[in-house]
Amino acid sequence: MSDELKTPLLDELEKGAWPSFVTDLKSMAGKSNMVKDLLRQLEKSYRDKRGYWKHGGLVGVMGYGGGVIGRYSALPDEFPGVSHFHTLRINQTSGWFYTSKALNELMDIWDEHGSGLLNMHGSTGDLVFLGTVSDELEPTFRAVTEKGWDLGGSGSDLRTPSCCVGPARCENACFDTMALTYNITHKYQDELHRPMFNYKYKIKMSGCPNDCTAAIARSDMGVIGIWKDDIRVNQAEFANYVDSGFNVQEFVVEKCPTKCISVEGKEIKIDNSNCVKCMHCINTMPKALAVGKDRGVAITLGAKAPIVEGALFGSVMVPFMKMEPPFEEFHDLLGRIWEFWDEYGKNRERIGEFIVRIGLATFIEGIGLDPIPQMVKQPRDNPYIFFEEYYKEEEEK
Amino acid sequence: MSTTTERKTDIGPPHYEQFLHPIIKANYGKWKYHETLKPGVLVHVAESGDKIFTVRAASPRLISTNFLRKMTGLADKYADGYLRFTSRNNIEFLLANKDNIDPLIKDINAAGTLVGGTNNAISNVIHTQGWVHCHSSATDASGLVKVVMDELAEYFTSMKLPHKLRIAVACCLNMCGAVHASDIAVLGVHRTPPHIDHKNLPNQCEIPTTVASCPNNAIRPTSIEGRATVKVDEEKCMYCGNCFGVCPAMPIADPLNDGVSIWVGGKICNARTEPMFTKLVIPYIPNNPPRWPEVTSAVKNIVELYAKNAKPYERMGEWINRIGWPKFFDLTGIEFTKYHLDDFKHAGTTYRRSLQNRY
Amino acid sequence: MAGEISVEQIADDMYSMVAESAGQKKLKATDLTKAMIAKYGDKVTKQDAKDAIKQLIDSGRCIYGYFGGSSIEIPHTEGAANQ
Repeated sequence: MSDELKTPLLDELEKGAWPSFVTDLKSMAGKSNMVKDLLRQLEKSYRDKRGYWKHGGLVGVMGYGGGVIGRYSALPDEFPGVSHFHTLRINQTSGWFYTSKALNELMDIWDEHGSGLLNMHGSTGDLVFLGTVSDELEPTFRAVTEKGWDLGGSGSDLRTPSCCVGPARCENACFDTMALTYNITHKYQDELHRPMFNYKYKIKMSGCPNDCTAAIARSDMGVIGIWKDDIRVNQAEFANYVDSGFNVQEFVVEKCPTKCISVEGKEIKIDNSNCVKCMHCINTMPKALAVGKDRGVAITLGAKAPIVEGALFGSVMVPFMKMEPPFEEFHDLLGRIWEFWDEYGKNRERIGEFIVRIGLATFIEGIGLDPIPQMVKQPRDNPYIFFEEYYKEEEEK
Repeated sequence: MSTTTERKTDIGPPHYEQFLHPIIKANYGKWKYHETLKPGVLVHVAESGDKIFTVRAASPRLISTNFLRKMTGLADKYADGYLRFTSRNNIEFLLANKDNIDPLIKDINAAGTLVGGTNNAISNVIHTQGWVHCHSSATDASGLVKVVMDELAEYFTSMKLPHKLRIAVACCLNMCGAVHASDIAVLGVHRTPPHIDHKNLPNQCEIPTTVASCPNNAIRPTSIEGRATVKVDEEKCMYCGNCFGVCPAMPIADPLNDGVSIWVGGKICNARTEPMFTKLVIPYIPNNPPRWPEVTSAVKNIVELYAKNAKPYERMGEWINRIGWPKFFDLTGIEFTKYHLDDFKHAGTTYRRSLQNRY
Repeated sequence: MAGEISVEQIADDMYSMVAESAGQKKLKATDLTKAMIAKYGDKVTKQDAKDAIKQLIDSGRCIYGYFGGSSIEIPHTEGAANQ
């Protein structure tokens, strides 16, 4: 095969305003045969309208069952550079904060041991090293651990926990997302690296109901910041919003889902007992309004993408829990959830599907929670109640 | 290479504190408010009066060390070496000095990317691996993001939409990038079950394992001309590609039939209305690489109608709920078909069980 | 009582299970754990089972596999691998 890289179809993706991954990958093609053959195989995919990858399920680093995704080209003779093209998931930092020094060190490792391609970041949160051969997995692992990094999760394990910036750079943070993420990632290294569950278990931490990590849609367990007391109001700043011509009536008062805001002159009044913490008023007037002081988290369980039983959002299991170091109440709850799911869940059954199959009542009994109306939108509207207590004739006195 | 040192395991990620800008460390948990100074530029103000400036840049997510070294170089030059990534794969530079904002933006643009993605904008597009790395993809992901955002780049670099707009691309129903709660989702679809290579299957695959791999029990053992193989119950197959994962003789890719579908109206945050799933608007568009013109024009049409018709602070789904789905199909000119009618579990909850239609 | 059966014994039993089902059914960590508890009752704890699995993996007698779910397998060349 000629050494020249001809990619007429991909070249079309070098046009346009959005940053071009093709231009970027081509800049690596001189350095890396893997990237060169990746572009060639991708060009073939663009021509044939199909992918050419095979899944590899056995590659990994010694002792771990997670953190490496095996991938092989289906056309190794044609594209030997990507005959093996495995992925390593490097556990990202809390809130995806880095220094250029740390990233440069990781890149030096990856340029030496792999393709030099990355995902910043994967859907679960990891920093992804994209593309290397089986023999380089262990040396790459050694090199990253030398620099103080470790692999993230994959398979039927605790997936790499991830979180929003939280208190690092957000006034809405109702708990320390960064600290909790660090805490559980370290506490549950065994669950992260050695798959022991029925299926994957993702945990995401968002500091407030704006939910920047999409915990309610994308994590088996969402830990989402919330407050119980009153929204803090700065009336002087509120008056400034009114004076600036901002249409408070239309854009804030009328948008409130529970209609708990009223304005008298240049003063805002909030019926906090009726506020559902949707964040809209706080988002629109960040100088005047702020989350309350009595803060904690709500815990949701069960979000997942469609396959197999259909997509699910997480639903509220705990409407409010204090969340402060050393986080023991949370560890305890998580332990009970895993224990029950482990015992009664089926192979490949996500926690959300498990709850739907056995019923919420059975599930909360199994993990030791009491039924409360905050867990549901409404009580049941069908009469098929399976009573567990009823009188027997001889007892009827 | 270090071979003399002890092999380390289970050390976990490094502590985040060493990666925090000194201003962030000093004001951790003590932020007062933030403002958007212009598209892609934020200032966070602490109770102490300290300020940290953020400049947000687009990233294709699939990047090389060449690109990332350019970014770390800019972080060194303008941001004391501090940068982070958002949950939508934007790059954020954290600046102490306001005067560095404009020179940094100029250098970011020179490095081939854009600044924006804040407030009433389209933020970076979350997406999956596609033909670049995935065995079950029905389409490419990076290429689709590129062509869609080439059309819509002006909505990334400005803040002229009624509210924020979140686009996501997933290359098959496994949805590694969970697109089921985005304002607009482009979702790769297979339309045919795996093609069984009966000649090679007995040699390449363990039959019990292949049978067990199907999450929906659609695969059964059978024999053809005396050779053990498998058959697929096509009614039950949902095109997840899991069987292809264990059995290379069951490729799911079908160039003639694979393509993309378009979904709208999902949201995740709790602001005003509850989180919502996306709903189907276009069941199938054939793959037409390299630039998928039918997909880009469909997405652009929806975005422009939303920009024109939605009220301030209305997300896509909130706008559609206000005007009603019939009006949405009317406005967009998208054909409503039998595929839009749900026939999975709980389908009944999607039927119109009132007379509240607009005429 | 816990500790009555050695971790080595549990690991050997687990290894036999994995070897017997190779090519037929991929066994998960929970399958092995439940089988050991069924066999030995309260003489084996979940932690013993976990330790035994770790021993099997760390010694290289078994490896983890992932095919839409994680399993514990005898090391072998996989079908997709390009040599």
